[in-house]
Amino acid sequence: MIAQLIGYLRDHATVMKWLFFAFLAFAVVFDFLAARHHPHFWGDSVIGFWSLFGIGGCLGMIVICKGLSHVWLMKGEDYYDE
Amino acid sequence: MSETIFLHPATFFILGAMLLPVAQRFKLQKILLLVVPLLAFYQIRFLPESFGVCHFMGFELIFGRVDKLTYVFLHVFTLMAVIGSVYGLQVKESGQHMAAFLYVAGSLGVTLAGDYLTLFIFWEMMAFASTFLVWYRKRTKSIEAGYRYLLVHTAGGLVLLAGIFLRYQNVHDLSFGQIAADGATLADYLIMIGFMLNAAVPPIHAWLPDAYPEATVTGAVYMCAFTTKTAVYVLARGFPGFEALAILGAIMTLYGVGYAVIENDARRILAYHIVSQVGYMVCGVGIGTAMAINGACAHAYAHILYKALLFMGAGAVLEMTGKSKLNELGGLYKYMPISLIFTVIGGISISGFPLTSGFISKSMIIAAAGEHHRLGLLLMLTLAAVGTFLSVGIKLPYFIWFGKDSGVKAKEVPWNMQLGMAIAAFMCIFLGFYPDYLYNMLPFEVHYHPYSAYHLSETFQILGFTGLGFFLMVKKLKPEPKSNLDLDWFYRKGALVFMWVASKPISIANDWIGEVYRTVGMRFTLAVARAMSWFDWEGIDWVLDGSAKGVVKGADELRTLQTGKVQHYIGGAVVALFLILIIIVLI
Repeated sequence: MIAQLIGYLRDHATVMKWLFFAFLAFAVVFDFLAARHHPHFWGDSVIGFWSLFGIGGCLGMIVICKGLSHVWLMKGEDYYDE
Repeated sequence: MSETIFLHPATFFILGAMLLPVAQRFKLQKILLLVVPLLAFYQIRFLPESFGVCHFMGFELIFGRVDKLTYVFLHVFTLMAVIGSVYGLQVKESGQHMAAFLYVAGSLGVTLAGDYLTLFIFWEMMAFASTFLVWYRKRTKSIEAGYRYLLVHTAGGLVLLAGIFLRYQNVHDLSFGQIAADGATLADYLIMIGFMLNAAVPPIHAWLPDAYPEATVTGAVYMCAFTTKTAVYVLARGFPGFEALAILGAIMTLYGVGYAVIENDARRILAYHIVSQVGYMVCGVGIGTAMAINGACAHAYAHILYKALLFMGAGAVLEMTGKSKLNELGGLYKYMPISLIFTVIGGISISGFPLTSGFISKSMIIAAAGEHHRLGLLLMLTLAAVGTFLSVGIKLPYFIWFGKDSGVKAKEVPWNMQLGMAIAAFMCIFLGFYPDYLYNMLPFEVHYHPYSAYHLSETFQILGFTGLGFFLMVKKLKPEPKSNLDLDWFYRKGALVFMWVASKPISIANDWIGEVYRTVGMRFTLAVARAMSWFDWEGIDWVLDGSAKGVVKGADELRTLQTGKVQHYIGGAVVALFLILIIIVLI
C-alpha cells in the first residue's frame, strides 16, 4: 500500500519536480510577506537571504567536505587492520 | 533508609538487571523489560526535592536532588528507556538487557546526584555498562572498538576524578552545583574536561563514531541517548556561561555534520551527527542565558527521541539485511515501507521541519545566540542546520530506500521494533504540534514562540534550497566504500608505536641475553669442562645454569609485563594516580 503509493509518485517524477520548484517559489514569495519583528543582524532584513544561505551553504559544504575527504581523509575500510 | 532506596529510580533498573536472568528462565523477561522502565517513568513524578542524604567517611553523599533541570532530563531518560526496551524485546540474551538497564541506572544516578562522589560512581557505571552493549555484537571489530571505548572513558573518568580531588582540596566541599565562570580554577577545568569527553567535544570526540556503529542494533539505540545527554546535563548544571563551551559547541556542530556528509556507514553517519547535535546543546550551555539553557534542555529532550528513532530505523535495516553501508543499500522502499516512514519522520524532525520537535527546540538555541548578539555562533549553527538536512534528512533515507536498486531483499521488522519506532515518531510530531508540553518542563520560564511568520519563512527557505542543492549534486554524493580519518588516528596508530617500542627493545634484549647464554655461556661451560675435567661438574653447572636461567627468567617477566593486558595498565594507572592524589591531599 505505502510501497505502491511511493512507486506511483516515483513514476510521476516530473510532476514532483515541478511541485518542488513551486514550493521554492512560494518560500521566496512568503519571505516578502513575513513580518520581521526582531532582526538579529543585517541578513534578517534582506529578502531571500536564507535562500542564498541554504543553497550556498549546501553546495559549499559538499564541495569542501568531499574535497577534504578525497585529498586527505579518505582511507580504505581496513586501514587500521593493516 | 529502605524507603529512601526505593525513591531512587535507578534502584528499579539495578534490581531489574539482577532479576533478568531469573525472569529469562521463567519466560517472564519481556514482562520485566516493560514493567521496570514504565514504573520508573511513572515514579519520577513523585520524587521529593531531596532524598538519600547519607554520611560516609566524613563526606556527605546526596543521592537525590530534584529540581526542574533534573526533572526534564529524568523525564526523557525514563521515556527513552521505555522506547529502548520495547524496541529490544525480541533480543533473547539477558546480558544485553542487563547492560542496558545498568547503563540507564548510571545515567539516572548521575542526573540525581547532588555531590561529586555519587556522580563519579554512577558516571563510571555508565561507561562500564555501555561497553558491553558494544561487545555483545561479538565481532572482532566490536571487541576492539569496545576496548578503545572503555579505555578512553577510563582516561576521562580519571581526569574527572583528579578534578574532584583537587576541588576538594581547594574548597573542602564536594557538593555539585554551578561553578562561576570568572573564578574557575584548574580543578574546575579538569572536571569540565571530564564532562566534555562524555559530551564528545572535539578533540576528544572520536570514541563516539568509533564505537557506536560497532554496537548491537539495540545497544546503539540506548547509547545514542544517554552518554552525551547526561554530559549535557552535568555541563548545564555546573558550567553555564563558560565561553569555551559556546565556541567549542559551535565548532562541534560543523565538525560532526561535515563528517556526516562524507561517511558511508548509516550508523556512523548518525554517530557523527550526534556530535553535531550535541554541539547545539553545548553551545547553548556556553551562552548561558536563561533562554539558551532552556534551549539546550529542550533540544536534548527532542534530540534523544528523534536520534533514537533514526538509530532504530538504521538498526531495522541492519537487522533485516545485515548491511548498514549506504553503497550496499538502495531501493528498499518496496520491502520496508513502514521503517521508511518512521525514519523519514526522524529525518525531518532532526532537520527542524515545522510541526516536528526539531523546529521547536533547535531554533530556541539559535534564537538565544541571536538575542545575545553572537552573530558568528548564529551563522555556524544555521549552517550546521543546512548540513543536517543534507546529510541525515535527505542523503541517509535517499540512499537506503531509494537511489540505485541494490537488489537487496528484506522483510519488515517485528511488531515490537515497529512499536518502538512508532512511540518515538509520535513524540516527534506531538512536540511539534504541542510545544508547551515540553516548554512547561523547562528549568526557566519560556518566552519563545517558534511559530512566527519570519521563523517559518527562514525555515522554508533553508530547507527548500538545501534540498535543491542535494539534487543538483546527487552524483557527487554517491556513497563510496571508504572510511575517513578522524582524531582517533592518534591513539589507534599511536598505540601501535607504543606497543612496538615496548615490545621490540624488550624482545631484542631477551633474544640477546639468550644468544649470549647460548654462545658465551655454553662455550665457556664446555671450555671449562674440557680444561678442568677434574672440577666438580655439579658445582659449575649449578652456578652457570642458575645465573643464566635467572637472567632469562628476568627477561621473561619483563616481557609478560608487556602483554598488552589492558586491565593491568588501567589498574596500574589508577593505583599510581591514587598514590599521587593521596600525597597531594595529605600534604
